[in-house]
Amino acid sequence: MNTVKKGLMTLLGITLIGTQLVACGSTSDSSQTTEPASSDKKETTATDTAKKDEAKPVEITWWNFPSFQALDGEVGKYEKQIIEAFNKKYPEIKVNLEMITFEAGPEKLNVAIASNTAPDVIYDAPGRILDWAKKDLLAPLDDMVTDEVRKDIPEALWKQSMVGDKTYMYPINTAPFMMGVNKTVFEKIGALDLLPLDRPDRTWTFDEYKKALQAVKEKAPDIIPSGFFAKSQAGDQGTRAYIANLGNSPFLNDDYSKIAINTDKAGAALDWIRQGVKDKLVVSGSESLTGGDVNDLFLQGKLAITLNYSPVLRAQNATLKKAEFEDVLVPFPTIDGAKPKLEPYLGGMAIFNNGNDAKIAAAKKLIDFIANDPEWGKKDLIQTGGLSARSSITGLYNDPEYTYAEQAREFYTNPPTIVDGYAEVRTFWFPELQRVLLGKATGKEALDSFAQKADEAIAKAKADAGK
Amino acid sequence: METRVRKINPNLLRDWFMSYLFLLPAFGFFLVFVAYPMLRGIYISFFNYSLRKFEYVGLRNYVDLFHNETFMKSLWNTSLLVIITVPLVIVFSIFVAMSIYRKREFARSFFRGVFYLPAVSSVVSITVVWGWIYHPNYGVLNYLTGLFGAEPISWLGNEKTALLSIIAVLITTSVGQPIILYVASLGNIPSSYIEAAQIDRATSWQIFRKIIWPMLMPTNLYIIVITTINTFQCFAIIQLLTSGGPYYSTSTVMYGVYEQAFKLGNFGMASAMGIILAVIIGIISTIQFKTFGSDVEY
Repeated sequence: MNTVKKGLMTLLGITLIGTQLVACGSTSDSSQTTEPASSDKKETTATDTAKKDEAKPVEITWWNFPSFQALDGEVGKYEKQIIEAFNKKYPEIKVNLEMITFEAGPEKLNVAIASNTAPDVIYDAPGRILDWAKKDLLAPLDDMVTDEVRKDIPEALWKQSMVGDKTYMYPINTAPFMMGVNKTVFEKIGALDLLPLDRPDRTWTFDEYKKALQAVKEKAPDIIPSGFFAKSQAGDQGTRAYIANLGNSPFLNDDYSKIAINTDKAGAALDWIRQGVKDKLVVSGSESLTGGDVNDLFLQGKLAITLNYSPVLRAQNATLKKAEFEDVLVPFPTIDGAKPKLEPYLGGMAIFNNGNDAKIAAAKKLIDFIANDPEWGKKDLIQTGGLSARSSITGLYNDPEYTYAEQAREFYTNPPTIVDGYAEVRTFWFPELQRVLLGKATGKEALDSFAQKADEAIAKAKADAGK
Repeated sequence: METRVRKINPNLLRDWFMSYLFLLPAFGFFLVFVAYPMLRGIYISFFNYSLRKFEYVGLRNYVDLFHNETFMKSLWNTSLLVIITVPLVIVFSIFVAMSIYRKREFARSFFRGVFYLPAVSSVVSITVVWGWIYHPNYGVLNYLTGLFGAEPISWLGNEKTALLSIIAVLITTSVGQPIILYVASLGNIPSSYIEAAQIDRATSWQIFRKIIWPMLMPTNLYIIVITTINTFQCFAIIQLLTSGGPYYSTSTVMYGVYEQAFKLGNFGMASAMGIILAVIIGIISTIQFKTFGSDVEY
């Protein structure tokens, strides 16, 4: 009897464990019931379908992050207006819109791709789009890029939109990532002259920057002079560019095959940040703060300088300010006042190759409408809060900060999003920053460790791509 | 020679058929949502399954994991989490249950409600509140310790305090159900046993050790197994509070599964991690059944 009971209890236990472990077993499995189709098969089917469906109505799915500012506070309302206008021109194309968030969207996309249920078209940034392109998931867009557009968009932006000689993202809006400064704080403490606002290009040196922070610390003790964050990879373009400029070191080498930021100067910059936390020049607890947390402090008027800002974020944050102050944009300081290197934010559209040429053609029409329609093209740009990717389209906003942001495009550099294995590379960045902030490594040691892991990931990604 | 033909009772057959018919929906769900995903997870763990790539790699995912410093650190953190959390949950729950089970109905219901509240609240909401409590610059905890002259601490940004801070949150969300179960079990212990022991001048500790504890064994077994499994699977609290940091000091296997599958799209590697975790939980649960199950007979 006892043995039977024990047996039953064990069975019950195994069942319980099984039930509890569904999450483990199913995380990777819940949505993939079909095997990946081979690309050859896909192309044949796609061509056949296109021939048959040429004159038929087409239905496409558009997944969109909140790339456009919410209209009347309603997420997706502006996108619906775009679709309505698009349908007046192309009534045969039905567009199903699905709004996704920056937090959960990337995961949803990974699952959708793995389960062959990816959307047809997406508005996103190069970080993910180039990764998909390298994995042969996207349709090339070269046939829709005219010579005029090709010449009008700077090389640095095309590099973020292409893999090899093929274009996979249609660049639409851009903005340089810079620092945001609470100008009102500096006015109140009589230290406005410490900011580089009187210089046309607003460039400044590391020493000038330190003096500005020191002034805030001494004259406005309730305000945190500067921000830093290392909790997660979100917003890592800010910490990357900050250290790269403070240390006058490029993030990648010339042919984008290796990490180059592990220089003595960049290591010293990172050491300075750690010392800055102790000296109360940099926000404390930065190892457990996200870029969003730091920008929240800035919007609450508790932080003088934030390091992950852009004209787009400035526009989006205008209604989120919890204190009255004027925010202005400045580039990252450099050791000797050399020209800063700014990572561009780039937004654009890409098409998933889901094996249906009719859908690809319809998606191209939607992209063309959003980017180039005489009426909606300009409206769409303004709704993103960004600048046009095209050099010839300027003066969209009546705001001196936008005028400066347009000028700051001259400081654009090639961002690491173009490197092979970028998704994995960035997972090594913030833990190494944490290591420095915890005092477990010097700046140079941490950057060397990052470079070693990242270089391995780059090499592995290159090898995988070559298979 | 007479051959005896065994006749099947039609009523018995009908009962048998009906029993299995009623079991069928649950069994169907079990097959579709438990058994199949588990088997599929095992299958995928032998593949390099990254987005649309599906390449057989044998045991490479497992070998890579055991050579991966971050995974080994996660395994260690997960073990620490379980070793510290499970006994604390048991001790705290028994202490609370012992303190309230003889109180009047109103007081008992009140305390049960108070301790059960986190169990029925959203983990995300609770974690966000704790995030503010632990905030390095404006957190309530630093404010309170500051009243006694202590310097602010980065609770979630310090390797020494981050995991303990996670454990504190985990305990608040884990004690609700055990307290309810222990209160119910304590109420089922015949008071005559305790009265008899008291007449024999047994001390409170002797009564607890010789009467109450043995009679709580069935409840103990259930709570220990469930709390262990839930602690092994702790994910949301870590994702929201620390994202596995600082420097992997709060990274767990379950967080690693999420990161590999959903952030990096390495479903094969994530499945291998899930299978390793499942095996570990299976072994520990078996040990728990063997250890605590032997006394479950009253």
